[in-house]
Amino acid sequence: MKHNKTLGRVGEDMATEYLQNKGYKIVEQNFQNKWGEIDLVCEKDNRLVFVEVKTRIGEQFGLPEDAINKNKINKLIKNSQAYMVYKANKINNIYMYRIDAVCIVLDEEMNLKRINLYENITM
Amino acid sequence: MFIKVQSATNLGLDTIGVDIELNISNKGLPGFEIVGLAGKSVGESKERVRTAIANSGMEFPQKRIIVNLAPADFPKEGSFYDLPIAIGILSSILEFKIPEKSLFFGELSLDGTLRHTRGALLLALFAREKGFRNIFVPKQSSNEAAIISGIKVFPLQTLQELVSNLLGKIKIMPAKYEQKRCPGNGFSEFDMAEILGQEQAKRAVEIAASGGHNIFMVGSPGSGKTMLARAVPGILPYLDEKESLEVTKVYSASGNIPPDGSIITICPFRSPHHTISQIGLVGGGSNPSPGEISLAHRGVLFLDEFPEFPRSIMEALRQPIEDGVLTIARSRARVKYPARFMLIASANPCPCGYLYHPKKACVCSEREIKKYKKRISGPILDRIDLHVEVPVVEADAFSEDEKKRPREFSSAVKQRVLLAREIQRERFLNENIFINAEMKNKHIKKYCLISKQARQILNQAIASFNLSARSYFKMIKIARTIADLSKTEIIGANHIAEALQYRSKFYET
Repeated sequence: MKHNKTLGRVGEDMATEYLQNKGYKIVEQNFQNKWGEIDLVCEKDNRLVFVEVKTRIGEQFGLPEDAINKNKINKLIKNSQAYMVYKANKINNIYMYRIDAVCIVLDEEMNLKRINLYENITM
Repeated sequence: MFIKVQSATNLGLDTIGVDIELNISNKGLPGFEIVGLAGKSVGESKERVRTAIANSGMEFPQKRIIVNLAPADFPKEGSFYDLPIAIGILSSILEFKIPEKSLFFGELSLDGTLRHTRGALLLALFAREKGFRNIFVPKQSSNEAAIISGIKVFPLQTLQELVSNLLGKIKIMPAKYEQKRCPGNGFSEFDMAEILGQEQAKRAVEIAASGGHNIFMVGSPGSGKTMLARAVPGILPYLDEKESLEVTKVYSASGNIPPDGSIITICPFRSPHHTISQIGLVGGGSNPSPGEISLAHRGVLFLDEFPEFPRSIMEALRQPIEDGVLTIARSRARVKYPARFMLIASANPCPCGYLYHPKKACVCSEREIKKYKKRISGPILDRIDLHVEVPVVEADAFSEDEKKRPREFSSAVKQRVLLAREIQRERFLNENIFINAEMKNKHIKKYCLISKQARQILNQAIASFNLSARSYFKMIKIARTIADLSKTEIIGANHIAEALQYRSKFYET
């Protein structure tokens, strides 16, 4: 369990760096409420972007992409809406949002093998 | 990126064009979705396509793929969408152009080879009718499609091969039609010469084959009814081109053409067991498939042990015997199948089988016999033209002298049948029918000239045998065929007299 948490942490840090290079502004990390967690909340082109980060070591036990199923996406949508309700007073100038996913695959030594960004996964 | 690949689906014997539209987008999570009322087998195509592409040494794109089967409002079933979907996806990553005016059709195996897929002949017919130039089909299904001229049929062994071809690396030659022997509906198992005695029954079978009449044989067990019926395909003429296509269409649509098979040129012979269900016999199912009567189209339907068939099944035969077509209406589809067959039915005269036997005593009570005979529907018997008794083979038929006596081979009988059919073909050149059995009353008035003497006999017979109006016309039809066999224009007294022997005697005890 502890291992998974550190792995997630490593992945999220990598994703943060990757997204910042792509011009995303990180607003908040690990926003938690009682239904779950949003890994990254960013802002890009005047749009609120919620990002789910999935990290895997090696691909032999399934792709990180496969781990984002319908259930997960529905949860993400709920959480993002919850976020917007909480922070309504701060984000009133932003009127559109979308959900992205960053999938990261590491090798055994925790070096980056590939990183992919999928925009607007609720499409 | 938007890609369109064209294919077609078969609904009964009709073919409907289906456009496979693919949208491959970089946005969104990678996924593969098929819409457009895809049934179970189409939905499973996702996994086949994905694996076949991977096993063909190509990469399945990690993109969001939406496949739409248009028109999207009728249910799609079948495995043949694999090839058009796969080729659509591959064209997005390998950047080849999908050839215009082409249809793609075929089921993929997980290793990327193409499997024999049913309905290729119908697809080829559709392609020619709608002005398509090329069709791409699995190699094993290409021969049946190649009979259709005017379009190019490209046989494919693997997905990789097609991709290389579309990329211009290799060239696939269009298939050339090759006539092969279709196993399973080949030549008749028995020759007429193998059957001992039974001269009268053989004559009746010859008449039935010449005019395409239905025939009903009654006789004790072991007298040769089944052998006679099984010898019939051997004396029937080969199917002409138009008939071949009609028959092959039914077989192709129902997946009864074997891999690498060619079109059917020999009369089909179907002999379903009496435990057959009604749907098995006349066709049906939610996606209506043809039954035995449609598979026997332009051929022989042999119902051995006729009284053992359930009553409801016998009654279901009434309308197709008259019309030669059958419309199967179900909630999901309404399908028309041809069913112009020659019915051969056989029965024992009583439950124990030895009624009228010269030596063996029948052990059935009168009531039992009545009950047994009642099992056969009267209206069905009325629709059967020829009724013949197949008596027990006499003991001296087995003697060495008798065995040495020359008997006629099927090939000789066939010559006479062919001549009679030829006369009929010329006679009905301007009509919509081919054989005497199909004659309606107006045709009988027009084509059956009866001599004065013959008419007298006929009138007498009607009075003394209480023949119905339908039986009256039946007798003339049979007499017409008998006259054709003796190459006479006018039906004479001897022809009518012979025809009268074949009237129904089943209910007379």
